[in-house]
Amino acid sequence: MKILIIEDEKQLAKSIVTALRTEGYVCEAAYTAAEANEKIPMFDYDCILLDINLPDDNGLAILETIKSLNKTDGVIIITARNSVEDKVKGLNLGADDYLAKPFFMPELIARVSAVIRRKRFDGSNKIVFQEITIDLFGKSVTVNGQELDLTRMEYGLLVFLTANKNRVVSKNAIAEHLSGDNAELLDKFDFIYSHMKNLKRKLTDAGSEDYIKTVYGLGYKFSA
Amino acid sequence: MRLLQVNLRSLLLYSLILLIISIPVSFLSVRAILSEEIDESLSLQADQFTHHIQQFEYLDDLETDLGVIDQLSYNVHIKPGAEGPAAREYSTVSFYDSLEGETRPFRQLHTIITVKGKRYDLKVRTSLVDSQDLALAIGSVQVIVSILLTAGLLLINRRLAKRIWKPFYNTLERLRAFELDKSETIPLVESDIFEFNDLNKALSHLTEKSRMVYLNQKEFIENASHELQTPIAIFQSKLDALMQSPNLTQTEAETLMELEATAQRMSRLNKNLLLLSKIDNEQFLEKEPIELAALVQHQVNIQKPVAALHDIGIRTALEPLPLQANKTLLEVLITNLLNNAIRYSAEKEDIVITIHERTFSVSNKGKLLAIDFEKMKERFRKESTHPNSTGLGLAIVKKICDSCGYKMSYNFSNATHTFSIQF
Repeated sequence: MKILIIEDEKQLAKSIVTALRTEGYVCEAAYTAAEANEKIPMFDYDCILLDINLPDDNGLAILETIKSLNKTDGVIIITARNSVEDKVKGLNLGADDYLAKPFFMPELIARVSAVIRRKRFDGSNKIVFQEITIDLFGKSVTVNGQELDLTRMEYGLLVFLTANKNRVVSKNAIAEHLSGDNAELLDKFDFIYSHMKNLKRKLTDAGSEDYIKTVYGLGYKFSA
Repeated sequence: MRLLQVNLRSLLLYSLILLIISIPVSFLSVRAILSEEIDESLSLQADQFTHHIQQFEYLDDLETDLGVIDQLSYNVHIKPGAEGPAAREYSTVSFYDSLEGETRPFRQLHTIITVKGKRYDLKVRTSLVDSQDLALAIGSVQVIVSILLTAGLLLINRRLAKRIWKPFYNTLERLRAFELDKSETIPLVESDIFEFNDLNKALSHLTEKSRMVYLNQKEFIENASHELQTPIAIFQSKLDALMQSPNLTQTEAETLMELEATAQRMSRLNKNLLLLSKIDNEQFLEKEPIELAALVQHQVNIQKPVAALHDIGIRTALEPLPLQANKTLLEVLITNLLNNAIRYSAEKEDIVITIHERTFSVSNKGKLLAIDFEKMKERFRKESTHPNSTGLGLAIVKKICDSCGYKMSYNFSNATHTFSIQF
């Protein structure tokens, strides 16, 4: 799966490329609007990460180009200007998602995987990892065909972890993902810990292997 | 004291003093002049009388004639004798006036004259009634003129001052209505008085400059916050990359987590500052119909698991309250108040959330805070030293209330903190 990262901050672009590569994506980076405009007509991307504030052009113009070429590439807008108008404008122009800087890398990866899944699998939208199957439409999880009774939090946690498999996901990133803007929590780690404990128990009770490994001091890693 | 009053008061005081002094002074001086005139005329009369008496040779029996004169004359009395004073003596005396039938004041000249070698006691009198009437008349005219003059001066001064100072009061009123964050520049009225025009110009300049500084500062905060987002994003992405390395020691892992939490805190501070400046810039103008009770319930459901971690329950009594408002702002408002309540609530106590009579209240048990409500609402004021607290929560709530016209109040009683928003 191919991803184009349009971001003028080279350091950030590099980090995004590295992180996405560990998830098995093929990544290209464009540091200017001109570069991006060269690449977009030539290749098909599964997902384009688009920074709106580019030195040579407004990212929204690139979005218009993508749509005018009738491309089906998924587009996630990344911006430092977290303004409602930009968001509305971007989504109206056909962007699939919107992410404000700064963001946690696992969050970005989860958004990318969600956009790609939405673009590629019409009808049945499922994530399959070994014996675990997540039905994203029905919001249900089965292990070896046996359905689990998960809370909303536990379900969200599992989807988030599977999108970031083989990577260490920090507790901070998980807390932010689960609570969104309400992440100003006390003892958010206790909060995550209790949900994670329940999720692990439910999975192993249903006969799944324990894929969620605790990385001491940091967070969790989902891997086979 | 108002400017006009100061002016008027001094004038009035001066006029009054002048009036009080001038009435007796003018009356007395008129009387003195008159009485001097009368004395002179009495003296003249006495001279003439004496002269005539001494000239009349045909008077045979002087004694008898003088007796007749004494009897007949209204104002000349002459008697033989030498007891009277040698020099001319003036005095004011009262006599029964047979013409008028009442006792009246007279001015009298008393002297001794010698006629044909014999000394006589001579008294020449004149009635003082006419002169007193005159003095009274002159005095009254003087008083009336003085009163008219004073009243006229005061009236003119008053009207003139009012007209002259009008531009000043206009300017003052405009200044009072001026709000740095809301008003455009002050429209100042041209006046035909140089000083006021100068004042207006100086004020225009001052307000315009303050506004520019304010706007620049506002823009700076917004830009600074925006510009910080990207470096924080890079920072966070590099931390994430470091976390992926397989052989981290425990200390390294802990440091990484602390760094990430700090980055998150910076980012949150930044977002809150941006939110504040966005509310300032009125970027949340779109309003939609919102059922507050539903919105509150939704936020409560999100926060319940968090509160439950500390054995804090959330009880609600929500009356339906349909509002026309901006959803984003309302959500921020509810979330911030809820977050605060959870943060400052005593353990194992319930937070009570109510909507009653258009008022949304959040109460939590807790100890008395060291800072008062006014301070609480300031930016970066906080009681908690928790790293997750930015100290902007209540400042944002206040800003939202200010910009939307809601009324925010705080009450502490029975060890319970209650924040209320009246819609």
